[in-house]
Amino acid sequence: MTVPALELRNVSKDYLIKAGGGLIPSYRRHAAVAGVSLTIARNSIVGLVGESGSGKTTTGMMALRLVKPTSGRILVNGVDISQLDHKGLKPVRRQMQVVFQDSYSALDPMMTLAQIVAEPLDIHGVGSPREQTDEALSWLERVGLDRSYGGRYPHELSGGQRQRVAIARALILKPTVLIADEPTSALDVSVKAQIINLLQDLQEEMDLSILFISHDLSVVRSLTDRVVVMYRGQVVEEAETEAIFSDARHPYTRALLDAIPAANPRDRRVRRFLSVEEIEAATPRLARSELPEAAEPSQTPQLVSIGPGHRVAAIVTP
Amino acid sequence: MLLYIIRRLISVALTFFVVSVIIFLMMHSIPGGPFDGNDMPVSEAVRAKLMARLGLDQPLHVQYLNYMWGVLHFDFGVPYQSPGESVIQLLSRAWVPSLVLGGLGVILGAPLGILLGMAAALNRNSIIDYFASTFATLGLTIPVFVISMLLILVFAVWLDWLPASGWGSPDRWILPIAAYAAIPIATYARYTRSAMLDCLNRPFVTVLRAKGLSENRIIFQHVLRNAAIPMVTVFLPMFIGTATGSIFVETMFRVPGLGAYFVSSIEARDYPLEMALVLMVTLMFCLAYFLADIAYAWLNPRIRVGGDH
Ligand SMILES: Nc1ncnc2c1ncn2[C@@H]1O[C@H](COP(=O)(O)OP(=O)(O)OP(=O)(O)O)[C@@H](O)[C@H]1O
Ligand SMILES: [Mg+2]
Repeated sequence: MTVPALELRNVSKDYLIKAGGGLIPSYRRHAAVAGVSLTIARNSIVGLVGESGSGKTTTGMMALRLVKPTSGRILVNGVDISQLDHKGLKPVRRQMQVVFQDSYSALDPMMTLAQIVAEPLDIHGVGSPREQTDEALSWLERVGLDRSYGGRYPHELSGGQRQRVAIARALILKPTVLIADEPTSALDVSVKAQIINLLQDLQEEMDLSILFISHDLSVVRSLTDRVVVMYRGQVVEEAETEAIFSDARHPYTRALLDAIPAANPRDRRVRRFLSVEEIEAATPRLARSELPEAAEPSQTPQLVSIGPGHRVAAIVTP
Repeated sequence: MLLYIIRRLISVALTFFVVSVIIFLMMHSIPGGPFDGNDMPVSEAVRAKLMARLGLDQPLHVQYLNYMWGVLHFDFGVPYQSPGESVIQLLSRAWVPSLVLGGLGVILGAPLGILLGMAAALNRNSIIDYFASTFATLGLTIPVFVISMLLILVFAVWLDWLPASGWGSPDRWILPIAAYAAIPIATYARYTRSAMLDCLNRPFVTVLRAKGLSENRIIFQHVLRNAAIPMVTVFLPMFIGTATGSIFVETMFRVPGLGAYFVSSIEARDYPLEMALVLMVTLMFCLAYFLADIAYAWLNPRIRVGGDH
């Protein structure tokens, strides 16, 4: 088996939340992410879905080492980066890049597009200033903007154009991993499709591996190879994209799928999302003997393999 | 841009006119006149003759027009307090202490405030942050004359380190400069802190971190640059703002500057000097804001480019 582009092993992030005010504040531990493992094979796109607050962004930020994990390991192309300091991380930063949802605040308003896109080259000392600018301009072309945009400022572009600039900046160092945190959520349908196509093309051309964080299951379906579903800081299901859409096993995944607006208005049911208790009650219970791989019986849900590449959080009964 | 500049200049002229009318009316509506003082009593006949010579017996609007006609020719009249020189000569003398003390106060205070604000933003919720915030709030809320009084009390009376008043040897400058510096330090500290925190929370800073840019370079190349525009543009108005502060500071420290003359001209009903001072400060303020706006437009790409279309 080849080395995955990105691997998270059992990573967790606890935040201290102020629980009581007063003179002596008391703090409560809040597990934003609790023991998440996920693997992005080389040259593939993995979708990370889940409701707001389920810990998707935190997971992505830990993968980038912009948030320090409380525990767990992060491997990039097989190299453990969880303990590296700022200096040790610098070469790793060339391998990993990020694109955010809000394209406006993601670009420094004081810099021209050429400067913005060229900056990663400057940070890593690649080429002369002249070559850097040339490279930046050709990247603007590559993401579908004219070279003449190089002298413009971020506020002069539309949201979709700015997202193209953010993508050019992310990819100019030819990284192997891209974390895309809801890159299309702020865009309208046609622009969204253009950006998705652009990401798809670039992924194929550059052998890129993408962690695509999104709320939008229809986008996830068209773009990704695998889907990881997060719920309250944990992975509850993980499978090939088609398997998730045709054979979801976890009640939370099903609830998410049911929440996709139906194309035909007649098919629309009154939508009501499941409560935490309902989801807990509906957690699959699987007999140990049914499972294709060995698993210890337990009272709490654990991720178990139920088919090729398909894992679900379930209670294993003896 | 040219149209914008012309429009602004017209509004400066209008402001100047309105202020001059208001001040002229207010000045003359204060009861009493220049020769009502008790230390040098004059007879009614002499008083009337003096008033006539200064044109003060004429109707107000005639007096106003006469004065403004002079102003347009850079003739601000002769100060009643010191008839041996023109108002212009007196002002050019009085400017020096005000400019030196107020200028040094702002020039030293602004960078100190920026450093304080940076230290606070980079050590958020630490002792430094609390100290800086408290200091800044005090600096903005305590009136300048109270600050001056405290400085005199602590450093001149109790500790006896520095002279309390006067003008001349540079050791006498230290306390008034400190008093002038309070507002720039406080303003810049507050502003720098909030602008930096705002900037540090934006995704583009996160992206820069993800790209491996060191924290120092993020702060100096990106964060400060974004925060700098208003910092630069507020500098000139703040500099001119010391002119109003000087009224208190110079009275407290007995410095013979503009502020001191401002106070004495009101007391002595020295109309030409009072009018000249107000008009001068008004003009400086208008020009300072005008230049600040131009600097802002010039430095900020969002406005610069938009304005050209
Ligand atoms: N810096 C922080 N301090 C305290 N709590 C935090 C912090 N960052 C995130 N959290 C908490 O961690 C949880 C997960 O947040 P996260 O942003 O990862 O969710 P998300 O899945 O990306 O949500 P969304 O879809 O809304 O972007 C939330 O409950 C959030 O309040
Ligand atoms: Mg998020």
